[in-house]
Amino acid sequence: MPPITLSDLSLERHVLSPRVEALRKAYFRAMPEVCIERASLVTEVSRELGLFRKSRISPLEKARLYRRVFERRTPVVRHRTARELGSVPFELSDRSLFAGSTTTRFKGVPLYPEFMALALWPELQTLSTREHNPYAITHEQVRVLNEDIFPFWLECNISERGRKRSVLDQATAPDEAMAIKLLDYLVFFLTSKPNCISHTIPDFSQAIDFGLRGIADRANQKGAASTDDESWDFYAAIALAMEGIVAYSQRLAAEARRLAAGASNGQERDELLALAEIHDRVPERPARSFREGLTTVWMCWVAAHLENSNVGLSLGRLDQVLYPLYAKDVADGDLTIDDAIELLCCLWLKIGDHVPTVPSAGEQLFGGTGSNQAITVGGVDKDGNDAVNDLTYIMLRATELLKLRDPNLNARYYPGVNPPAYLWRLCDVNLKTKATPALHNDQAVIAALMAKGETIEQARDYGIVGCVEPTSSGRAYGHSGSILMNLISALEMALFNSEHRHTGLGVLISKRTGDPRVCETFEEFQAAFALQIAWLVEQATTLNNLYGRIHQEFYPTPILSALFEGPMDKGKDLIQGGATINSSGVGVIGFADVVDSLAAIERVVFVEKSMTFADLLTALQADFVGFEALRLRLRNEERTPKYGNEDAAANAIAHWLAELLDRLYGSTPNYRGGHYRVGYWTMTNHAGFGRLSQATPNGRSAGQNFTSGITPVAGETPSLTKALNSVASLPSKWLANGVAFNVKYMPGGGAQMLDRFVDAVETYFAAVPGRRSGGMEIQFNVIARETFEKAMGNPDAYPDLLVRVSGYTAYFKDLNPQMQKEIIERTTYDLSTGHAVQFPTV
Amino acid sequence: MLGRIRQLFWKIATLFRSESWLLKKVRHEAQALKDELEGTLTDKAVELLLYAMDVAFLLLANYRRNLRGFTGSYVLRTADNKVAASALFANQKMSVRREAIASPTVTVTFKTAQALRRFLSAKEPDILDSLLANDVEVEGNLNYVYKFCFMARDLTRRLGIS
Repeated sequence: MPPITLSDLSLERHVLSPRVEALRKAYFRAMPEVCIERASLVTEVSRELGLFRKSRISPLEKARLYRRVFERRTPVVRHRTARELGSVPFELSDRSLFAGSTTTRFKGVPLYPEFMALALWPELQTLSTREHNPYAITHEQVRVLNEDIFPFWLECNISERGRKRSVLDQATAPDEAMAIKLLDYLVFFLTSKPNCISHTIPDFSQAIDFGLRGIADRANQKGAASTDDESWDFYAAIALAMEGIVAYSQRLAAEARRLAAGASNGQERDELLALAEIHDRVPERPARSFREGLTTVWMCWVAAHLENSNVGLSLGRLDQVLYPLYAKDVADGDLTIDDAIELLCCLWLKIGDHVPTVPSAGEQLFGGTGSNQAITVGGVDKDGNDAVNDLTYIMLRATELLKLRDPNLNARYYPGVNPPAYLWRLCDVNLKTKATPALHNDQAVIAALMAKGETIEQARDYGIVGCVEPTSSGRAYGHSGSILMNLISALEMALFNSEHRHTGLGVLISKRTGDPRVCETFEEFQAAFALQIAWLVEQATTLNNLYGRIHQEFYPTPILSALFEGPMDKGKDLIQGGATINSSGVGVIGFADVVDSLAAIERVVFVEKSMTFADLLTALQADFVGFEALRLRLRNEERTPKYGNEDAAANAIAHWLAELLDRLYGSTPNYRGGHYRVGYWTMTNHAGFGRLSQATPNGRSAGQNFTSGITPVAGETPSLTKALNSVASLPSKWLANGVAFNVKYMPGGGAQMLDRFVDAVETYFAAVPGRRSGGMEIQFNVIARETFEKAMGNPDAYPDLLVRVSGYTAYFKDLNPQMQKEIIERTTYDLSTGHAVQFPTV
Repeated sequence: MLGRIRQLFWKIATLFRSESWLLKKVRHEAQALKDELEGTLTDKAVELLLYAMDVAFLLLANYRRNLRGFTGSYVLRTADNKVAASALFANQKMSVRREAIASPTVTVTFKTAQALRRFLSAKEPDILDSLLANDVEVEGNLNYVYKFCFMARDLTRRLGIS
């Protein structure tokens, strides 16, 4: 356990340096700009090498592609201009302590035509003026994309390859075609593989400790000793990929020197020469200093994003990985706290230098999302000891000062092991930033990962991926966001005997499970619902496995594989199952609404018998028009059991449902030799799926948002303590892919606010051996309703109003109106009383 | 037959008239399309759109660049088959048929006439919006639909009828 040397854990007197202030100001001023360099170079080199017309692409062929791209991509050391809203250019002062850039733009939109970039094709000419989250794009870029780049990928992006394969497989695997059809309806589930896998944490320690040259040398040795073509190809790919990254870094060094020669002042010249010297050394060779270590991480990060979509790639436990270098520099007198904060701030801004590609229609489902690059701090080490160190607090301070949505900071806390002062500081940062970091309970999370077969050491070394998904750092390839399942659709099909109101009653979707109007017991209906869930699980996993096989044939990832535990020993790429731990993750949407709906059906139809199932269905089909009294009765937590009120009936259903989903998914194999894990985080899909879904038996009207994550339904859980206990009572072993429990507090509350904040977290995290594992995760918004309403009316006045959505952080102004409404209408608790505050709906 | 005569007229016209004059004439045709959309005869609207596209390819060199190296075929139809038209692209040319051809690259089926109207009259026609609204089914390569939507929006933008 490293000693804490900081006299003030809040580091309050350490503020942003002028360099970082200038960069931060430019960051918030800049709008995202489309960058076509990656797409252009990948297309150009793919043509040269004849890739993507082949029936299969090997890791070595991919490595050759990336090697050439690294040779040709622009080595950006300093950005000189950016664009603000309206695509108006402005000059900026870029004196970042890091060189290199994910794209050629200060805030770029990288395009991955192998994946979903073609979805932007219809709106290329209006991207810069679209209402939500516009991207600046030039006429020339539109021309090049429309005429040169996109046509190349018409037949060979992942989505189309998957569709073609399902047509070919129709005789032997008819389910694949059905699954694709369900995907097209958008209301049953989404699968992210046409857009990405990503969603993992690389192991940077290899690159930091041995340098990329060391990794390449090891690969060459392994290749020389290999006895089969496939592993030889793989090791050759690793070595070539590492060479590519080194070459890029050296080009940055050359560019830095060139700029230094023309620098207008001595300080600028010295800074550029220092950059050149660093890039001469790392990431090729082992890092010797904190700054070199950070640079190695950054170079690997840029490389990883060349290969993998910028969706959910996460940086892991940087406070652990970089602590030895930090401590050494401090001990040698080469680094101060201010230096460390400045370096981290510059790196955080670099990490946030890109946004994901989201088409206009996608804004309704994913609006406002960043790239969800999670960083994890704190927790315990592999031996179970307190791992919180000085760097943990410095990273918290950097995050507090910058208030960026990306990287997305997550903090681990182990009750009884990590010091109370650390939890106090985590809650303090939440109050000050109003939304970050998310807090993860080590006890519950480690137990969840071990329940899936991980060793205790592996489980203890978890980091957070994307939104909230716990993943053993650098060794688990878990594609934690592979499927996003709309649980309400399974309920819908149970209610309407395998038909769905969105696709049209009269159109059979799944297998008949019977008319609920003739169910004599609740258990009969519950069984029908379970069958519908099982069917949907089968469809979703069939589709994910289909696309997984497409990735195996056409999208090996030698860069990421080089930075991972497992592939080097196994001689196989991550996509072939090279990782030590292989799994696939699911995010379930609509949990609370389904639990409450089932509880309502049980109570109203079968226990009280105050109405028939037929009458209930009539009311649902009418969207409660003419049935307002019923709707209010169903919404009334005093008359109808609700999840989140420690109600026995609702709790029993919640437990039953979570166990069922974990069992169904957990017993389903994926294409890499692992199994599926279930989580309850929703990004903004609870708004998107809610929009597509009709009225539900919990009193929700058609088109209204579902509830986010694993959170109880808004407005129906008046007691904070009961809500915390209800969620915490769910055994973490069923929730291994993570949960997002979104809690909103009224700000204010005086000096006692922080104490109460800490108390609430401790209550929630508390485990009772044999009875409850404690809550896994909790995240906060501490913003007054009035502030939200003002921000809706005047978004430009609130550019950095940070909110926790359902997993990731976002800027409130970037969310679509439906999502903004959902956040405003979340249950707001007054910490001084522990009760919900009553507000009218928006 | 009328369609063929009109195409011949436009081909001859390109030889003798300036692009700005021709653009003015095409805009006039496009206004007819817009009027059609605002009327009740949705069955003509698809054909008119494809016809306008075809004419634009003949007249506008910049717009014709969309055809470079492009081969593909589309069927646009309503679920009841009351509206059906096909567009074929090959050898830098487009041809339009007034019925659904066999084995197109992609078939876009609008579930109702209203769904078709919504798509065609949208400020920015977007197939993803139509999928979200459950207005359409797409069979075949969705990437081709993205390209078609780009061409349709490019056309309406050029003609000032978006």
